[in-house]
Amino acid sequence: MDKQYIGRTCGNVMLDQKKIRLMTRTAIYEKRAGEEDFKITSYYQKDYSSLNTWTTLIWITVGFVLAAGLFFLCGGEDLLEGITILKLLILMAVAVGLYLVLLIVYGIGAGAFYRKKYTRAKRRVKRYLRDLSRLEKMNSKKEISRS
Amino acid sequence: MSTLLVWREKLQKIYASYSVYILKGLQFLMGLLLFGLINSNIGFMETASSVFCTGGLAVICTFFPMVVMVVAAAALVLVHFYALSMPIAAVSLVIFVIMYIFYFRFTPKKAWLLLVAALAFALKIPFVIPVVFGLLGTPVWIVPAACGIISYYMVSFVKASAAALRSTDSDSVVNGLMSFTKQVITGPEMWLMVMAVVIGILVVNVIRTRAIDHAWKIASAAGAVVCLIIAAAGNILLDGGVSYVEICLSSVLGVALGIVLEFLFFSVDYSRTENIQFEDDEYYYYVKAVPKIGVSVPEKKVKHITEHQPQETVVIDEKTQGVLASRAAAQGKDSSSGSQAETAAEDIDRNTDEILLTRSLSRELGLDQKGEKPR
Repeated sequence: MDKQYIGRTCGNVMLDQKKIRLMTRTAIYEKRAGEEDFKITSYYQKDYSSLNTWTTLIWITVGFVLAAGLFFLCGGEDLLEGITILKLLILMAVAVGLYLVLLIVYGIGAGAFYRKKYTRAKRRVKRYLRDLSRLEKMNSKKEISRS
Repeated sequence: MSTLLVWREKLQKIYASYSVYILKGLQFLMGLLLFGLINSNIGFMETASSVFCTGGLAVICTFFPMVVMVVAAAALVLVHFYALSMPIAAVSLVIFVIMYIFYFRFTPKKAWLLLVAALAFALKIPFVIPVVFGLLGTPVWIVPAACGIISYYMVSFVKASAAALRSTDSDSVVNGLMSFTKQVITGPEMWLMVMAVVIGILVVNVIRTRAIDHAWKIASAAGAVVCLIIAAAGNILLDGGVSYVEICLSSVLGVALGIVLEFLFFSVDYSRTENIQFEDDEYYYYVKAVPKIGVSVPEKKVKHITEHQPQETVVIDEKTQGVLASRAAAQGKDSSSGSQAETAAEDIDRNTDEILLTRSLSRELGLDQKGEKPR
């Protein structure tokens, strides 16, 4: 297939449409998601997903404590009215049960979410690197033809 | 219909050409509306509720991603709450942090949907949200919608009981704090609206993704009706203060907006639907293909009429005719002087063409009408 050129000649140089497309695509990628993707792909998938899952679990613990505090502020007076040790134990068991359910749900969800995020980032970076190598080949071809 | 489709195409072209300016303009308008509403409703801190602050924040947020506007709105709300009562601000901060931890940490780019939901409630058009979110989004959008509704009700609780919350007496502060927290967590009207909107979004989304004819229209109507029924039934049961006029009007507006969205994003021709069945080694396929409606915008052709270039008209008098005739005779006699004869013939041809052209032009332009006798 013949090369497609656009625009007018600028001296002896013509604009290569294919090359411009590649350069634009890589520049857009670098601007939008490049930085984050490079950061993500600097890890192994397992490391990345497990690190973020643990971070999420810590955040969930903080969130649970805050939410429990709010609930206590809202209905603590009614709960503590006529409290016995058995009631207190049941209350604590419910709280711990809720916390564990939350941890399990978010743990599984976050693991899947970050694995998917890693896979997508990896795919994008791969495509970006392929585009870069194609650009490099084009440039080297041009250099050879010039010399 | 075709005119509307042409307009849609034109709109698309305009959007494609000026999308940056259009988006920034919309972002600015949204910021102005959002900060204006916050300041007009809970403007407890005078400095922060000035017009300059509203305009300034809107302008600043225009040049940043939408998530900055969300953070700025939350900060403005907290500042006003702090001016009213520090414990209220602390509880509100905790609620915002919980929202961030449980959802917005994962998709910060979707945080602006919270603002849209809260704005719709502040503008008294709550049931536009289930239709719009259900048609354009995914089921996960129920989370930002719910967070937006909670934020709106949080602000409206504070607005309604500002006088009670303002007191500096320690008992009043504790009571005010507990009542505010109770209202935010167990407010029946708030949870009723959250339930109506969440179920509405799910209904709209489920119907919209079915392979049925006019799915978008049915989804909009069904979502609006479901929201209306839930809100009305809940209001009767809880003896709440939901305005029936408000929910009815917003449902109607939601359906109308659904039709507009369908026209803009999903215009198909159901009359030309094709139901196809085929198979391969592993599956039978039942495919329903609905063609899109597409019209091409008629392009205006500009015809450039250049200035009339005067043509030389050669008038052949008797003398010239004689010369030409003699040349022609000489051409007939002397065939050896072929080149000269050819030149003469070409001259004659050219002259004849010019004469004919002049005459035809004169006839067309009516220049020779004066000389003609009336028949």
